[in-house]
Amino acid sequence: MPEIKVTPLGAGQDVGRSCILVSIAGKNVMLDCGMHMGYNDDRRFPDFSYITQNGRLTDFLDCVIISHFHLDHCGALPYFSEMVGYDGPIYMTHPTKAICPILLEDYRKITVDKKGETNFFTSQMIKDCMKKVVAVHLHQTVQVDEELEIKAYYAGHVLGAAMFQIKVGCESVVYTGDYNMTPDRHLGAAWIDKCRPDLLISESTYATTIRDSKRCRERDFLKKVHETVERGGKVLIPVFALGRAQELCILLETFWERMNLKAPIYFSTGLTEKANHYYKLFITWTNQKIRKTFVQRNMFEFKHIKAFDRAFADNPGPMVVFATPGMLHAGQSLQIFRKWAGNEKNMVIMPGYCVQGTVGHKILSGQRKLEMEGRQILEVKMQVEYMSFSAHADAKGIMQLIRQAEPRNVLLVHGEAKKMEFLKQKIEQEFHVSCFMPANGETTTILTNPCIPVDISLGLLKRETVIGPLPDAKKPKLMHGTLLMKDNSFRLVSPEQALKELGLAEHQLRFTCRVHIQDPRKEHETVLRVYNHLKGILKDYSVQHLPDGSITVESILIQATAHSEDQGTKVLLVSWTYQDEELGSYLTSLLKKGLPQST
Amino acid sequence: YRDLHTFELQAPTRLIEWARGNRVCVAGYGQSDGNEILQLIPPPTLLTKETQGLCPERDFKVECGGFSERPVYSLKHVPDTSLLVTSGPPDSSLQVWQVSAEDSDVIKCVSTLATENGTGQSWAKIATISAKAPWVLHGSRLDRVQITEVESRKNVYTAASRGSEELSGLTFLDCNTLALCCATGRLCLADIRQPQSLVEAAPAPSAPCREHWCMGTSHGAQGLEPSSQPLARLSSRGLITLTDLRKTSEFLALAKARVPSPGSGAEFLCVSWAPALEGYLAISGFDGTVHVYDTQSWDSSGREAEPVFIHKGHAFGGAGGSGDLPLVTVHTWHLQKPRTLLSAASDGSLHVWDWVQPCGKC
Repeated sequence: MPEIKVTPLGAGQDVGRSCILVSIAGKNVMLDCGMHMGYNDDRRFPDFSYITQNGRLTDFLDCVIISHFHLDHCGALPYFSEMVGYDGPIYMTHPTKAICPILLEDYRKITVDKKGETNFFTSQMIKDCMKKVVAVHLHQTVQVDEELEIKAYYAGHVLGAAMFQIKVGCESVVYTGDYNMTPDRHLGAAWIDKCRPDLLISESTYATTIRDSKRCRERDFLKKVHETVERGGKVLIPVFALGRAQELCILLETFWERMNLKAPIYFSTGLTEKANHYYKLFITWTNQKIRKTFVQRNMFEFKHIKAFDRAFADNPGPMVVFATPGMLHAGQSLQIFRKWAGNEKNMVIMPGYCVQGTVGHKILSGQRKLEMEGRQILEVKMQVEYMSFSAHADAKGIMQLIRQAEPRNVLLVHGEAKKMEFLKQKIEQEFHVSCFMPANGETTTILTNPCIPVDISLGLLKRETVIGPLPDAKKPKLMHGTLLMKDNSFRLVSPEQALKELGLAEHQLRFTCRVHIQDPRKEHETVLRVYNHLKGILKDYSVQHLPDGSITVESILIQATAHSEDQGTKVLLVSWTYQDEELGSYLTSLLKKGLPQST
Repeated sequence: YRDLHTFELQAPTRLIEWARGNRVCVAGYGQSDGNEILQLIPPPTLLTKETQGLCPERDFKVECGGFSERPVYSLKHVPDTSLLVTSGPPDSSLQVWQVSAEDSDVIKCVSTLATENGTGQSWAKIATISAKAPWVLHGSRLDRVQITEVESRKNVYTAASRGSEELSGLTFLDCNTLALCCATGRLCLADIRQPQSLVEAAPAPSAPCREHWCMGTSHGAQGLEPSSQPLARLSSRGLITLTDLRKTSEFLALAKARVPSPGSGAEFLCVSWAPALEGYLAISGFDGTVHVYDTQSWDSSGREAEPVFIHKGHAFGGAGGSGDLPLVTVHTWHLQKPRTLLSAASDGSLHVWDWVQPCGKC
């Protein structure tokens, strides 16, 4: 049976890094290549030696696909392609291609410059790696080679995130990456058509979560900002990704308008420049509502939000500032943070995950005394808040996606085994499909039942439909024919036509069976008895007594001879062709039962 | 509000029960099978005393789940065990479930407590206690009340029969005393040490038309000691009576809540005392709101009472314009935080809210 093999190299049953190897119809694809953010040593990289011990990765893998720019999905990519060695194509969406190198470079800087690590990829490696990237559009079928094709679907979650369908012939796998089924303020919901893949690989991190409604989160966020500003404090919001910042801006702008607030809101210039650069990429990835707020080229046409100048940070009075980078590890946001950290009236709101080693991570872990350059100690008295709007699919969302795609099998990654048992049962019960949950390094084999299209000759079709009951559209019909495989085509033809085409002569196969019957009478009397017996039983068949003493039942011949050694036993020779096997066997067993006494 | 969190369950629930370790249980009551029983871990914000605004963990987590073939109308955790008992139509039998959170996250049905099913029996109301052993008190009618030991399935007590009205609720007042409330409003007390006696407590106040009644009691520590709070009964017309269990012949207090007329059935009537706030109770089941009342100023006149707070969140929930307004199916109080309640509605919403005392009162 053909099979699809899936091996998670990371994110089997742990959350941390995603890297999944899929073998489908002889093709090998790597899905995501993430870094584990919790480890500082080689454990943060997936174990690539699992793929092939001494062969070259480029020869083994047909392609690599990256679902989105989060580091736990692409963080190990430069290490993989430049340090371990891979020169084949790497596929990702356009926004992912644009944003990945920036995040990777940021991450590299933190790891090498701040933490002083040496076994890490360099800036040049990131550049070389990105040269191997082929960007794809949504719903565009990309031929990786003659047999392997991939297609990206919208996944929501973050800007540029996609779910990928990998197809070889009529076998296909859909990998979701991280996705979200409820629309955001600036991102739509994930969507896929009824592509009926053999396997759907879905993340299940948040399968056990029942999420607080977005309205409540937003309301709490606004309340915190409002309270800080009311008491004269300053709010710092470090952001990176364009989309999330935009969403928060709209939120604040509307709130400011409604509450008639006067405190200024600033957006740092570094962000504005990058923003214009991403504008074209972003606009097709967002939903209708946001598109309307973009006014021509300058998207920051907000009444209450102005461009930031470094000097403003020293202005007295309340204000809100959005600044980069997002983890407070360098640049403007860190500068502002240092100025404002000492005042307990101020607040910093971290909008997302921060990598270990960054100031963002430290303050979120509760550290309040930070060591800065030159051994200076910074005391953090300002309030530190964390808020995550980044969305993942919950159990309801996963069920929705499965309902949309109609896969034949489901594989869950990114969850803990014990905590996924309920979801597994839920999926199996509702959709009657098998659900798998492999651990890291464990290979799951999924058997597929591919449909192979075969042309059937008209003559054979006509012949087969005549015999037997009328065809029923719902029931499979068994037909007999000969399968001819020539070049890459399959044809089903009648045996005669096959013989003709192949120039072969037909052989006739004839079986003869001996049945012993106790009958002391003469042979021709025995024959008569047999004839009457069969005539009585086989009323629908043509049973004939021929002048030469033999009996025919349809085309089966029965002759009687005396046994050479025992006159009381007669030997019936039953002879039939291969085609009459069924009737021949039946006759033989019938005769073996003996003749009734009366005839 | 001091705080409000809204969640959406995949299927609506008509029960919210507290289980071991501060867990919350909800369950589906749909007609088709495949109803889920979920044991949820509330977000840390609900477990701490102080309210945090932007805590990273704001979500409920499904700790374990189980599948029930029948709709789950009632669920009770058996104290000091990892067992749950559920009941629901079509008959009055009970299902016992095992929650084993360490090994797997599936709640398994381990046994069924069958009851003799007469005609016209509806689902059993249940209450649990673990005084001498884990017991479940159950019955769908006044003449079918019994206590069964959960693990051995032995019957340890059968109440004397005093009529065959349908029960709307039953509870352990302490480890020996039971209170049984009929849908007609009739209240009976029983002592399990005296199997033949069934004391008629206060009847329901006379009413012009048929009303449906339910009751709410508050418990002393772990339901093993009698509580000082009176027993409250709520009618589908909005009448609330308070009865002191030591003097059951008269009402302690009688008040009328301002609720819409009982057009919607009495299916989801619910009244409960605040465990940490003396004299406060909440009612729901008339529409998409939950009312909180301070009963300390009530008398027996039957006047209309003014609620201290009305939670209207469910009426404004989710998809607008879908026709039917959601109906609050159940509410319950947080066991430690004095002003926090959880409420669920027929549209699947689950709200957790913390109300603020209006100014002027202490």
